[in-house]
Amino acid sequence: MTFTLRARLAVIATIVSGLLLGGLSIVSYNVLARWLDEDVTTRLTELTDGLHGYLRFDGGMPSVEYNISDTDQASFVHEATRYYQIYDSETGQLLVQSPDMAPLGLSLTKGEVALLLASVLPADITTPYGRLRVISSPVASPIGHNYLLQVGVSLRSLDTSLSRYRDLLLLLTPLSLVLAGAGAWWLSGFALAPLTRLAIAARGIDVATMERRLPTRGVSDELEAVTRAFNDTLGRLEQSIGEMRQFSTALAHELRTPLAALRGEIELALRATRGGDLQRSLASQIEDIDRLTRLIDRVLTLARAESGQIPLTFGAVDLGELAASLVDQLEPVAHARSIDMQCEPVSPVQALGDAGWLERLLLNLLDNAMKFTPEGGRVVVRVCRDGDRARVEVADTGIGMTPDVVAHVFERFYQADLSRSSASDGAGLGLSLVKWIVDRHHGTITVDSRPEHGSTFRVTLPAIHGQQRS
Amino acid sequence: MRILVIEDDGKVASFIQTGLEQEGYAVDVLHHGNTAGEQARVVDYDAVVLDLMLPGRSGFQVLRDIRSRKPSLPVIMLTAKNSLDERVAGLDAGADDYMAKPFALAELSARLRALLRRGTPRESVLRVADLEMDTIRRSVRRAGTSIDLKPKEYALLEFLMRNSDRPLTRSLIIEHVWDIHFDSISNVVEVHINSLRNKIDRGFPIQLIHTVRGVGYMLTDSAP
Repeated sequence: MTFTLRARLAVIATIVSGLLLGGLSIVSYNVLARWLDEDVTTRLTELTDGLHGYLRFDGGMPSVEYNISDTDQASFVHEATRYYQIYDSETGQLLVQSPDMAPLGLSLTKGEVALLLASVLPADITTPYGRLRVISSPVASPIGHNYLLQVGVSLRSLDTSLSRYRDLLLLLTPLSLVLAGAGAWWLSGFALAPLTRLAIAARGIDVATMERRLPTRGVSDELEAVTRAFNDTLGRLEQSIGEMRQFSTALAHELRTPLAALRGEIELALRATRGGDLQRSLASQIEDIDRLTRLIDRVLTLARAESGQIPLTFGAVDLGELAASLVDQLEPVAHARSIDMQCEPVSPVQALGDAGWLERLLLNLLDNAMKFTPEGGRVVVRVCRDGDRARVEVADTGIGMTPDVVAHVFERFYQADLSRSSASDGAGLGLSLVKWIVDRHHGTITVDSRPEHGSTFRVTLPAIHGQQRS
Repeated sequence: MRILVIEDDGKVASFIQTGLEQEGYAVDVLHHGNTAGEQARVVDYDAVVLDLMLPGRSGFQVLRDIRSRKPSLPVIMLTAKNSLDERVAGLDAGADDYMAKPFALAELSARLRALLRRGTPRESVLRVADLEMDTIRRSVRRAGTSIDLKPKEYALLEFLMRNSDRPLTRSLIIEHVWDIHFDSISNVVEVHINSLRNKIDRGFPIQLIHTVRGVGYMLTDSAP
């Protein structure tokens, strides 16, 4: 499976954008999480340190004392004492626990208290009411009694912020990716549009229109370089085709003039002889020269045709009438070979084409059909309208062709069986010319063939609408 | 009848000269076209055979030269190219006829005859020996017996009778009798000649339609 360059460019750009966007999202999420985490730990440390200053130990029972009229103090202590508990270090007995801390089930055993006294690192504890970060620290009373203070901060707001941020990224990243993809598709289309225009212009140049060039835009960019290079190539091609055309003209002259002299001299010699072997030999030589001349004609016609030197004059051609007239004229020839040649009656079918070349097309097909149809066979021509196409069929009951032969039948000088058609001069060119004529008419040609059953050549040509006479 | 042949190839010029002289024409040959116009003005030629590809001045220029001095002098163009546009260009330039090399001498002389005969009225009743064609009633008789011909056979016979005693090439016959413009295909002429022979000659002691090997066919009552 292949994709257009545009699609490939767009896909690559989208993948790169996707990697960048995804990477950016992951990094920004992690950095934010870390910052927020550090903030919380810093605040927790501040709260713990601050709370130490407000602790009093009257009669062995710790309590928090502060000036209630000082709002700063009040709000600080309020925040610091939201989640806290104090244990007796020696007995492990719970002495104070804030009301919010109580339902969380975080009461410590004696062993845990002893452990925590050894480690003052913050720890995150998951509770049914959200995550809580706690920091434990030893506190000593003025009389030398030791306690364990544990202060906590809820991580709920941090978790909420991060999860919202993650949701935002999960929404924005795919959306941006879609936009990036669309942008890449548009951009690659925009960048490749001149190439498409070049391709269309280049497609319009063939051997008959070699003098055409691709349009240049007068700027110096990569596309202009391609255009110039292509135009240079066209220039060289045009030159060599020109040389080829001159060559075929020169060749015609160089071959025909000596043949003319040869033929003329033999004809003069023939006039001077009366009967006998010499006359037969001379006449046979003239026939050979005529055969050679026809072969040269066909080769040159095909060469000229294929190098685009033959202009066609398009007009309305009645294929039905053309077929009927040709069959009428060739029927006696077919009859002489005991071949039944018929044109099925048709209503007029107007095709757009060059009358002379279409006549040649049909003539070559009929000639071909007769050549390969044995005595007692049939050759039938059918003309009909097929939608916006005009269709001509030449069907014979001849020797037919194997699929192998059908594949090559329109190639120059291709002859399936040389011995069978060696008598017919220039054979092997007729069908290549047929193919050329069909191509120049923007038509199609197909062959159905079965060995020993016959062949059907089917040609379709553009029909002319609304001009059918009744 | 005096003919001017302008042809640069010596061998071609030589066989045209010999061939036409054998048929009783007086023939002058020029190997280039530089003085052709002047020559045509000075000498009173009946027709010109002009090669299209000449060294120096092209056949078209020579043709214009001749035409400017002798507007009605019949000119047959010879060319080594056999393409329709070339043919049209030659006829457009004012040539009266056009032949592609190589050609049959018989055809050149037939075309010359046709040009020289131009303007003379066509006979309405043609006769060769005891064969008679009435071109007005479109009837054919041999030795008084009416013969029924198909349209193509009739046209072929008329062409043969109008050119009786002269060999006619297949391409000349095709050009005059058929609508098909390509002579390189099928034996249309042979087939029609055969059916014509069956109707005209069968049962008669003297055969009128003859095959001239290497040339074509001839209608005559004196065996060649």
